[in-house]
Amino acid sequence: MKKDPRPVGEPSSIFRFSQPGGAGKFENPTLIVAWDEDAGRLGPKVVQHINRKLGAKSFCEVEPTSFFSLEGVAVENDIAQFPEGKFYYCEGTPLRGNQRNDLVVFKSNEPRFERHKFLDGVCDLARHYCKIRQLYTLGGTISSIAHTDSRRILAVFNQEQIQQELSGFGLENMNWQGPPAISSFLLWAAQRKGIPGVSLWTEIPFYLAASEDFQAIKATLSFLDKRFDLALDLTELDEQIMRQNAKIDRLRQDDTQIDRYIGMLESKLALSADEQGELSKKVAEAL
Amino acid sequence: MSIIFYEEPELKDPVMFCGWPGIGNIGLTAIDTLRVVLKAEEFGEIEPWDFFDPQQVRIANGLLKELEFPSNKFYFQRLEARPEHIRRERDSIFFIGQQQPGEGPTRYAQGQKAYEMANLVLDVAEKFGCQRVYTSGAAVTQIHHTARPRVWAVPNKQNLIAEIKEYDNTILMSQIEGRSDQGVITGLNGLLLGVAKKRGLEAICLMGEIPYYLQAAPWPYPKGSKSVLEVLLKILDITVIPSASSGQALSKLDQSARKVEENIEGFLESLFAAEAVPPEVRDEIEKLRHISREPGPITEEEQKKIMEHIDELFDQRPWKDEKGPPTGGGTQ
Repeated sequence: MKKDPRPVGEPSSIFRFSQPGGAGKFENPTLIVAWDEDAGRLGPKVVQHINRKLGAKSFCEVEPTSFFSLEGVAVENDIAQFPEGKFYYCEGTPLRGNQRNDLVVFKSNEPRFERHKFLDGVCDLARHYCKIRQLYTLGGTISSIAHTDSRRILAVFNQEQIQQELSGFGLENMNWQGPPAISSFLLWAAQRKGIPGVSLWTEIPFYLAASEDFQAIKATLSFLDKRFDLALDLTELDEQIMRQNAKIDRLRQDDTQIDRYIGMLESKLALSADEQGELSKKVAEAL
Repeated sequence: MSIIFYEEPELKDPVMFCGWPGIGNIGLTAIDTLRVVLKAEEFGEIEPWDFFDPQQVRIANGLLKELEFPSNKFYFQRLEARPEHIRRERDSIFFIGQQQPGEGPTRYAQGQKAYEMANLVLDVAEKFGCQRVYTSGAAVTQIHHTARPRVWAVPNKQNLIAEIKEYDNTILMSQIEGRSDQGVITGLNGLLLGVAKKRGLEAICLMGEIPYYLQAAPWPYPKGSKSVLEVLLKILDITVIPSASSGQALSKLDQSARKVEENIEGFLESLFAAEAVPPEVRDEIEKLRHISREPGPITEEEQKKIMEHIDELFDQRPWKDEKGPPTGGGTQ
């Protein structure tokens, strides 16, 4: 891969450019960020869908040496993994007046070291090189809802203006005080640089957290589709939701205890820790 | 990576005192209590985000309100601003850090970040004319929690040895049986001593003793802090009148030391009663209650055995963030 020789300021030292995208090529771009380790595989699956449907091309990646442990490689599902943080460019559909709403997608593992430097660099590249207008982070938030319930999307904004701008999109305001996820750290870093941003937290039933929650993935994609006029075809996800629901229905029929647990969640009743553990285990096995 | 000054006070020949969290928070508590006794004022801080991850976020009605990082603050106290009833000879600067910067899963400072932090702290020391720096921490040793902890002192220059020998209840490494004159000071307390030496600054680390079976305990050990504070007050020639407002901080430390000692007694008794530790471990800890402070009756092997049992009891659970609890449960 050849390095882009154009200066992009300080962040260039932590990035390697593979495609000279050129700031002039992005039109009204928005940055969408997804982290690889996510409940219900929400973030990675949403950006995978967008990238595939919109023909995204990778143009830049983070040099891993400062941010990840390189003592060896992890093996997951028999495959050797390697941490990465990649930027993709998706050209939006031309709208009225031929104006486009392009997307810049950043899909990454969470950095282990130098997290502020990493997030600051992402913001600098997005703002100075891509000229992004807004930032969206994606993530799943584990909830005690049943898989048959609809998925709410909770939102955290870093400016009131963007909160007002998205007020008609069915997002629900989050309230939380406690340890922050990396998306909140990024949202804060963006706030300091004057980049309007929102973190979207889509509800994931706890017993689907370790699997893929297609309904949550679809809910998030539907929001992005509506927000950016992406004209996404989501029929593939409808089929995946049906297949997943059918498998859980079979489990409910075969196991009355599991049926009772899910029925309790549907009735907004809480399960004990042991019951939650049993439900999560059996659903994971069934899927 | 920078230092923010709210004001730049003119100080006369100041001494710097640095405190960070560590075993039993002995050093941090000692230095911070001294800061309160002297009524030192905050005047600057080190920007935390390049050293630490945020610990707390506050989100209200969908808006990101605040991201909170561990603080690293500087305080000062001038001669002319001294509190009533306190006699002192020199101005003071305090550095209080809420966390040690590290790389990887360690609670102690190490690596490039720690070196950068040590240099930033000493930049402030030199900017305001400090020639002497004190750090403080814990000395893990074979004493019983009912015994009065001594203070181990390690200077970074030979000429400080004679001065340390004058300190009450204080010993040098060479005076500790079985240690010869060697040891290691982990974390920023040690690193700062080294970096100060490199810069030609005098530095002394004062370490309050803590029983080895409490080194992994999640609670503070104010008894060790009290011993360090007594030495610091002597060094600064400070006499605190208990009835004065500055004396309240010392009374609070005294009360806390007594309370923690009672709690440790109760905790160990409940462990022994529940047979959570083997009887021989109980006997080994109890031996320390009745012996002199010098090591001897308990071997390293026995110490290791006690620690294996005690450490298990101090295990702590992981946290959760906006992503929710590890096994599900609720919606934020």
